[in-house]
Amino acid sequence: MAAVSSQRPRSRSPAAGPGGTPADPAIATSGLSKRYGATRALEDLDLVVPRGQVFGYLGPNGAGKTTTIRLLLGLHRPSAGSAHLFGIDAWREPVVAHQRVAYVSGEPALWPSLTAAETLEFLARVRGGSDIPYRDLLVERFQLEANRKLRALSKGNRQKVQLIAAFATRAELLILDEPTAGLDPLMEVAFRETVLEAKQRGQTVFLSSHILSEVEALCDRVGILRSGRLVDEGTLAELRHLSARTLEVTFQGPPPSLEGVPGVSVVERDGHRVRLEASGELAPLISVLARHPVENLTTREPSLEEIFLHHYREGG
Amino acid sequence: MTHSPAFTLARRTFADSRGRNVGYGLLFALVAYAQPAAYRNDYPTLHDRLGFVHAFAGNASVRLFYGRPLDLLTVGGYSAWRVGGILAIFAGAWGMLAAARALRAEEDSGRVEILVAEPVSRRTLFLAGVLGCLAGVALLWVALLVGLLAGGLPAGGSAYLALATVAPAMVFLGLGALACQLAPTRRVALELTGGVLLLTLVIRVVADTSSSLGRLRWVTPLGWSEELRAFAGPRPAVLVLPAALSCLSLLAAGALWLGRDVGSGLLSTRESAPPSLRWLSSPAALAFREERWSLAGWLAGSGFFALIVGLISTSVASAGISSSLRRQLRQLGGISITRPAGYIGLSFLFFVLAFSLFACSQVAAVRHEEAEERLEALLALPVSRSRWLAGRLGLAVAGVVGLSLFSGLLAWAGAAVQGAGIPLATMVEAGLNCAPAAILFLSIAALLYALVPRASTAAAFAVVSVSFVWQLLSAIVGAPAWLRDLSPFEHVGLVPAQPLKGAAAAVMVAVAALVAVVAVRVFARRDLVGP
Repeated sequence: MAAVSSQRPRSRSPAAGPGGTPADPAIATSGLSKRYGATRALEDLDLVVPRGQVFGYLGPNGAGKTTTIRLLLGLHRPSAGSAHLFGIDAWREPVVAHQRVAYVSGEPALWPSLTAAETLEFLARVRGGSDIPYRDLLVERFQLEANRKLRALSKGNRQKVQLIAAFATRAELLILDEPTAGLDPLMEVAFRETVLEAKQRGQTVFLSSHILSEVEALCDRVGILRSGRLVDEGTLAELRHLSARTLEVTFQGPPPSLEGVPGVSVVERDGHRVRLEASGELAPLISVLARHPVENLTTREPSLEEIFLHHYREGG
Repeated sequence: MTHSPAFTLARRTFADSRGRNVGYGLLFALVAYAQPAAYRNDYPTLHDRLGFVHAFAGNASVRLFYGRPLDLLTVGGYSAWRVGGILAIFAGAWGMLAAARALRAEEDSGRVEILVAEPVSRRTLFLAGVLGCLAGVALLWVALLVGLLAGGLPAGGSAYLALATVAPAMVFLGLGALACQLAPTRRVALELTGGVLLLTLVIRVVADTSSSLGRLRWVTPLGWSEELRAFAGPRPAVLVLPAALSCLSLLAAGALWLGRDVGSGLLSTRESAPPSLRWLSSPAALAFREERWSLAGWLAGSGFFALIVGLISTSVASAGISSSLRRQLRQLGGISITRPAGYIGLSFLFFVLAFSLFACSQVAAVRHEEAEERLEALLALPVSRSRWLAGRLGLAVAGVVGLSLFSGLLAWAGAAVQGAGIPLATMVEAGLNCAPAAILFLSIAALLYALVPRASTAAAFAVVSVSFVWQLLSAIVGAPAWLRDLSPFEHVGLVPAQPLKGAAAAVMVAVAALVAVVAVRVFARRDLVGP
């Protein structure tokens, strides 16, 4: 990569650019909606991602994740509502907004006849600069074969080119659309390391993903999208608090009827053992249990996977 | 009822190319009908026809695109020359496009891997692709036959002429299939076959326009079509040549397909290279970098034909000219093709057509960039949509102007060698005269791209083709002036025989600028559209 040269990034200060103030969040949408003909791809999305956070954007296939990203980037026009990046309207002033954004698409569609090094150079020049020493480090970290033509690279390797180009810009906001699809586990580790570095530098990351362990490991906050609607949003702790927790109670004798207890549903009965799901206050359940001889009681918080599946199945 | 996989796949191949098949079919039927009808109308008596023959006997210049006339005294003989001569080239182009679409496009997109992984043999896949294309050839043959019969020609001779005309489609289907096995991508396969087609045309031009190299007709598929001699002492035995070449190349292609890796060609390509950092500074620079070889091909091709036009422009001078021909030419603008300037002026109308098609191909490349979703990566950078599209259109305009200028210069050089005595400035003007109409078509293609991205490529090529055919036909069928004026080709002055139609050219450029501005604004307001 020594032959490649480029200047330092043009402006990387966290101060407000044109159209925004330093107080503006990295992403703010209000009533953001998109229809394609009769299909409602996204409905009434109100989302705020403060600066410096890593935000996980979850949803099944076709939920509207990529649509959201296309609206955030001004690639598609909102049917209603608006999206602002650092206070800049994403549709009306995309060029100003994009000076502070880097994007990695889920489909690594780049120019087949260019080599990886040429692609990185082209993207850096069109952007107006890139952090070259950091880029060289990333090329090393992701073990990119820089002289290979893009048409000769596998999907995962093309994805690396996009990731390196995006992270090397040191953009204030990184929008990543399922960036690790196609990466091997080793590269997944490299990716997580790079996202954490970006977070330490104060960059904001919007991470659309299917990989729950990745979101759980990286994200400060999570939004869950289903059929074009945001069905849940908050920190992982908040999501867990609001969701049902699982309790397993083993009684010394036959278990009592627990059906009438508010907020409790019985999932499974097996002899003296009962598995319950409880949401909201636990006090009514505990006062019922106190009247019976309990041999053992375990409780655990739901995993992100359970929260995720819970939302998908609900009404889905 | 369930169909065999081969039948299902063949039907899909056929349905896949229905747009191209319908377009070519209509063109073939229309031309096949119009030529005999017009000839019968314009030269009703033997006397008229003798005058026509006298004008064209030994006249090399008209053979450039139409080939060698054998019998101009009968409606059939004339039609064989005018229909067969030019449509054989189109048939070759059809065969090459059909092969690349049926046998390679699915592979580039990765879809063929899905089919190969199914319990469908490779042999079946290949046969189905070829069968789908053969159905297309049959369709073209029927279209020609219907047109010729409607034009009043006898059935047997028409069927034979139609066969002679579609024979190059079979040959280039085979050669295209072979190229699909050799080339690493569909685009390279098209470039390879396109190169062969161009070379074939060049050889035909040389064979038909020189007095001593007539034997070269036996070397190429286009020459074979001429040697089949429809309506002029037919020699059906010659059919063995195109049949053998297409069968052999299809067999070879099939054999290679059974033995090679899916997704790559037998010709090795460089998969890695040291970085070359030129032409990477902007999206427009990269577009030039991506398109430069195609641009060079266009320059070489149009330059060659411009040179030939210049070289043979003087050979028309001695021929007499009939009153009926004069009448026909008067409708095209009252020029005399027996003077070099007149001949060059008329020939350059074909250059206007070629450069308009070039303009469409540039907009097609723009659409390709969007369909492949590369544009998303680009527009997520601080790149303005309007500036991006304006840059691509600017590049296309520069290409059109460059091609026009280069053709003017080479036609001048050819004419100067023969002592035609046309000044350089006049030929530069003749060259540049090709640009306004092509630029107008460019802007129309851009507007179509902005409005109906998925249909834009086909629609843009259709607009150019229909305008051109209409300009030729409307004169023949005697359409009212306002209908004729709809075609931009009508407003191109036949420089150097006529003065440059400055006002018309200025209007075309102004309209083009306006349409382009609208196109850019519409594009800036629409969603990006995937494949």
